[in-house]
Amino acid sequence: MWRRARSISNVVGLGEILSVVVLALAFVIPVASDSPFTHSVANQTLIAITATFSVYIMLRMDLLTFAVPAFMGLGGYAVALAGLRGGVTDAVALTVLSFAVPALVALPLGALILRLRGVYFVLVTFVLTEILLLVIFETPGLTGGSNGLVGMPPIDLFGLSIADNRQVLAFAAGITVLAAIITAALTRYYRQHFASIEENEVLAQSLGLVVWRYKVIGFVVAAGLSGMAGFLLVNMLLTAHPTSFSPISSVNYIAYAIVGGRSSILGPIIGSTLLVWAANIFSIQGEYSQGLFGLLIMICVTLAKGGIVGTAILLWERYGPAWPWGAARASGLAADGARVRP
Amino acid sequence: MMLLVKDLEVRYGGITALRQVSIAVNKGETVLLVGANGAGKSSLINAVIGLVPVCGGTIEFDGNRLDRLACDRRARAGIGYSPEGRRVFPSMSVADNVLSGAFGLGRERQRKAFAWLCELFPLLAERARQPAGQLSGGEQQIVALARAMSSFPALLLLDEPFLGLAPVWIARISEAIRQMQQRGTTILMTEQMARPALKLATRGYVMRGGEVRRSGTIAEIRELALAEEYL
Repeated sequence: MWRRARSISNVVGLGEILSVVVLALAFVIPVASDSPFTHSVANQTLIAITATFSVYIMLRMDLLTFAVPAFMGLGGYAVALAGLRGGVTDAVALTVLSFAVPALVALPLGALILRLRGVYFVLVTFVLTEILLLVIFETPGLTGGSNGLVGMPPIDLFGLSIADNRQVLAFAAGITVLAAIITAALTRYYRQHFASIEENEVLAQSLGLVVWRYKVIGFVVAAGLSGMAGFLLVNMLLTAHPTSFSPISSVNYIAYAIVGGRSSILGPIIGSTLLVWAANIFSIQGEYSQGLFGLLIMICVTLAKGGIVGTAILLWERYGPAWPWGAARASGLAADGARVRP
Repeated sequence: MMLLVKDLEVRYGGITALRQVSIAVNKGETVLLVGANGAGKSSLINAVIGLVPVCGGTIEFDGNRLDRLACDRRARAGIGYSPEGRRVFPSMSVADNVLSGAFGLGRERQRKAFAWLCELFPLLAERARQPAGQLSGGEQQIVALARAMSSFPALLLLDEPFLGLAPVWIARISEAIRQMQQRGTTILMTEQMARPALKLATRGYVMRGGEVRRSGTIAEIRELALAEEYL
C-alpha cells in the first residue's frame, strides 16, 4: 500500500493532494454554519487563497510580484462589464473570462518585463497596479471611474441562480479548488524547471533551459488565477470598485504566501486562512487591529523563517517519526527545490 | 572542426579577460586549457557556452556561428557544460539535478539517460532522492559531470573538473571522462592542476594573461607545464 501511495505522491505530490482535500472542506461551511460573519470571513479567505496562489507560483521562480491586484482588477472588471453591459450571467463563461482577460494581457507584458530581475521586477509590477488604477479612474465611461461598477446581476450556474450568501460561498469554494488544481498541475508539471530557475537561473540557462519561456508560462497562469480571485471578489460585493484592487493589497497577498510558507502549495492556504481570520478577529479591537495584525506577521516571520509549512516540515524531518514513504520533501509534501530551511 | 574560436575578445567592464584568443577543437579529441588563476581559461569556456558576452571575434560550433546565440540555444545545439566549483542545485534531488541537464530530451529519453548514468556512476542511483546540497564535494562533482553528460552532448565543456578533489574522486571522474571519450564525445577542459588532466587530453593550449601563449601535443604541453610549474 505504501508503495502505491508513494508512487501517487511522486506524480501528483502529497502537498498538492492535501491542498485540494483541505479546500474541498470549505464546501461544508455554508451547510454547517448560519453565521453571516463566518460566511463573510470564509469568502474573504477563499478569495485571498486564490490570489495568493499567483504569488506562490511566482515565488517558485524566485520572483516577487506586486501585480496581483492589477490582474484581479482586470478579471473583476471584465466580469462586471460582461454582466452589466453584455448581460452575461453564466458562471462558467464568466470564470473563463476572468482567467482569460488577465492572462492575455500578461502574455505580451510578461515577455517584456520578465527579463528584469530582483528589485526592478518588483518595481515594475508595483507600477503596473498603479497604472491600472489610473486607467480605471480616467475611463469613467467604461469602468465607472471612482464610483466603480455597481448593480451586477447575480450569476447562475447550470440554470441555478447564485444569489444568497451560502451559494456565493459554495461557488467561491469551487473556484478556489479549481485554482488549487491549476496551481498544482502547473507547479508539479514544471517542478524541475521552476526549481532550477529558483535556485540558479544562469546555471539553468547554461543547461539549455529556455528560462524566459517558463517564466512567461508561470506569469500568465498566475495572472489568470488573480483574475479568478478578482471575479470572486466582485461576485461577493456585486460591485467592481477601484479601492478593491489597491496596490497596497498586494502586500497582504505576499504576506499570506511568506507567512504560510513558499515551500509548499499548502503555504498560501494556511497563511491566507490564518491572517484573514486574524485580521477579522483583530478588527473587533478597533484602533489596535493593524498593530496586532503586524505583530502576528512579525512573530510568524521571526519564529518560522521558512513559513509555517516550511518550519513544520523542517521540525518533522528533524524530530518527527520517519515518513512512511521517504523524506517529507521527497514524498512531495514540499516542492522540489523549494527552500524549506531558513 | 567541432569548435573553432577566432580572435575572441572578452571584457569585464574595463578589464580585458580574453585578448585575440584563437583555438580549434577537432571532432572526437580532448583538448586541455592550462594556465594559472586569471589566465582566462574559465572566461573562454564561459564565452563558448554564452555566459559572458563577447566583444570581438567569432565562435563556430560544427560550422555554425555560436556567438550570436542565447546561452540556452547553445546548450540545445549539443554543448554540455560542467561549471567550475561544482555548482549543483542544492535543494533539488540528485536525480532532478542530473536530469536538469537534459531538459529538451523528453521524459522517455531522460529516463534512459538517467539509467545509463546510474550504470556509470552507481552513486546516482544510491542517492537519487537526496538533496544534492547534502553530498560531499567529490559527489557533487560527479552530479555536475553527470548532468553535463545527460543530454549526450557532442561537445563537453569541463571547467576545472578536478578542483579541490581527493585522489579517489579524481580517479573516478577521470574514468567517467574516458567513457565519454570512448563514446566519441569531443571535450574541452580547463585545469589548473594539470597532472590528471594531461593523462586524458590529446592536445592542449597554455594560457596566460587572457592570451594563448602556446599550443601543441600533450607531450609538448606537459613539458611547458613542467617548466611553468603547473604540475
